[in-house]
Amino acid sequence: MTESSNNKIAIVGNPNAGKSTVFNLLTGSNQVVGNWPGVTVERKEGKFVYGGIKNNIIDLPGIYSLSANSIDEKIARNFIVKDNPDLIVIVVDAVNLERNLYLVTQILELNRNVIIALNMMDSAESIGLEIDRNKLEGILNIKIVPMVANRGKGIDELKKAIIEYNDKSYDEFDIFKNDKINNSIKGIENLITPYIKNFPSRFAALRILEEDTDFLSLIIDKDIFKDIEEIKIDVENKIGEEIDTYIAEHRYGYIHGLYKECVEETIDVNERITLSDKIDKVLINRILGIPIFLFFLWLTFESVFKIGNPIAGVIDTIFGFLGDKSGILLAAIGSPEWIISLFKDGIIAGVGSVLVFFPNIFIMFLIFATLEDSGYMARAAFVMDKFMHKIGLHGKSFIPLILGFGCNVPAIMATRTLENDKDRIITILINPLMSCSARLPIYLMITGIFFKSNQGTIVFSLYLFGVVLAVVLGRLFKTLFFRHKAAPLIMELPPYRLPSLRTVFQGAWNRSKLFVKKAGTIIFIGVVIIWLLSYLPVGAPYAGEGSLINYVGRFIAPIFTPAGYGFWQASVALLFGIVAKEIVVGAFSTLFGGIDNLGHILPQYFTALSAYSFMLMSLIYFPCIATIGVIKQEAGMKWAMFVVVYSILLAYIVSILFYQIGNLFI
Amino acid sequence: MVPLSFAGIGEYTIKSVRGGRGMRRRLISMGINEGDKIRVIKTAPGPIIIAKNSIRIGIGFGMARMIFVI
Repeated sequence: MTESSNNKIAIVGNPNAGKSTVFNLLTGSNQVVGNWPGVTVERKEGKFVYGGIKNNIIDLPGIYSLSANSIDEKIARNFIVKDNPDLIVIVVDAVNLERNLYLVTQILELNRNVIIALNMMDSAESIGLEIDRNKLEGILNIKIVPMVANRGKGIDELKKAIIEYNDKSYDEFDIFKNDKINNSIKGIENLITPYIKNFPSRFAALRILEEDTDFLSLIIDKDIFKDIEEIKIDVENKIGEEIDTYIAEHRYGYIHGLYKECVEETIDVNERITLSDKIDKVLINRILGIPIFLFFLWLTFESVFKIGNPIAGVIDTIFGFLGDKSGILLAAIGSPEWIISLFKDGIIAGVGSVLVFFPNIFIMFLIFATLEDSGYMARAAFVMDKFMHKIGLHGKSFIPLILGFGCNVPAIMATRTLENDKDRIITILINPLMSCSARLPIYLMITGIFFKSNQGTIVFSLYLFGVVLAVVLGRLFKTLFFRHKAAPLIMELPPYRLPSLRTVFQGAWNRSKLFVKKAGTIIFIGVVIIWLLSYLPVGAPYAGEGSLINYVGRFIAPIFTPAGYGFWQASVALLFGIVAKEIVVGAFSTLFGGIDNLGHILPQYFTALSAYSFMLMSLIYFPCIATIGVIKQEAGMKWAMFVVVYSILLAYIVSILFYQIGNLFI
Repeated sequence: MVPLSFAGIGEYTIKSVRGGRGMRRRLISMGINEGDKIRVIKTAPGPIIIAKNSIRIGIGFGMARMIFVI
């Protein structure tokens, strides 16, 4: 135990080993959810106090090894080495103990304080595994705490072990000590020591032999580089195969031997057909798989919107009410006009416009967490993979994209389910092209006037065009930004299990809170800015002629002439669409004196051709401020700005091209 | 010897994993190596699912073509 009364603890382990359950057991509701800086990987941090010691716990991403192949692995190993946790808790799945040991031995090579939480002991017992804990503890020289985390068993022993671990001067854990390549590894260690500051030299030398790009980039001396290459070639000649596979295989052999020594299998595990296998026969069935998936997809969509929308409507009404009442109250105490408007149309409307998304987002997270925890999400990704692969995307991208037809805000947050940064970001970038339900009123208004006889077909054509653009741009972005990051589809299918209600709820709650805090700030600021543009200058009617937003609208209007709608009302309406797309229709109706007049007024400004061109603009141009806010939250400011820029440029070009080319034929 | 992508339901031994060093190492870290006895529990079309002890791993068709079993 360290002298200070504050422990920094990292939790690491294979995916599906029960890391989150252990984390939740330790921290209760004392959790904060966020992102690791600069990436889209989720980060969870929590606290617990035990025996007078305060413990800070970081939940690291689930990983299989500490190589540099994925962002999750890099995050985990960088945290262990640079952030210097006092203790690392490795959550190990006792059912797959042998495989879990691969990561364990790599972590031990980092020469840190480690204890193992040997989880899922009940499942291991039920399949006849007898694990000699003491023997394993002796050989690895670390404390092992058996647990059944999803029933809370072992948590006290774990907490005790955490505050009682002994800070030892670590014996280097070395599985190559007596191996024939030992000297070669030592040779590399000697060469690289001046360049590797934070990592133990053995760990670094092994990674360099594995062509680890992060470590290789630290060796700046070209001569040292050459020497390393020479040692590599020399040893590869000696062993007759590539060194990195040799290292992996040696490790594999070591853990196999260790497993055989400490575990007795009283049942032949390899022959087992589990309940999960039987369920999979149906759920990933060649014929039934996709229909079943589409059913779950439909269920998700319906729940998020059919249940979420009414609640959102209630919140909307409440805030409208609050706004009115506060306006009356402030007027009654003699507040100046601008304060009343600021509160009513600015602040209260601003906060309301953030909270109104909470129900949809919360329900989405509930459903997604249930699908993930139950194990079904991995199957869903597989069922959709072949299809999605054809269009260059990942199987797990399907659901977030479909959700985008409802609303891009929960849809983009749903991309958290994608493990790969590249897939996640691309799915986020193209999500706004899935025409959200807020844009639909615009299509309905216009097709109701200009395309009465084929309303359905015309609206469908817009949705379809959006999807086509999404696919095309998805491939384009992939080639442009992520060309070198190909991830082969190898995914573990965890056994099906009943998700814990508490975990699901807590996760959904924490993530929804995060939305309000982070995206909410941007949305709020955006709404206030639009309010300012509508309110100023003092004296002008709110958002009417003479207001700033009106001036801006008139100013930019001419640029839309080549697209067919260069009249200023169109620009003002589009500007209001920045806040929310639904407002565009309302803006038109305000500017033209009422919704009933639109039927005979709009044909004086639009032709059928320019009306369709305007709908193209509405389909593609940048998403509402709430969507921009979540993009910033989930992918960063850079990508959020990129979406704003590409979408407006694309919309502009498409709209103009359509109108100009269309004119040639009419 | 046949690529995993064309294997039917049944028991096999993994003979060779091609497709680059990264892929072989990733499989090893997930618990699958050359020489392992595995079962195929779902075949193509679509991803192949293999079973080894209590591990279930789904492998995309493209990747499954680079794993040879016997």
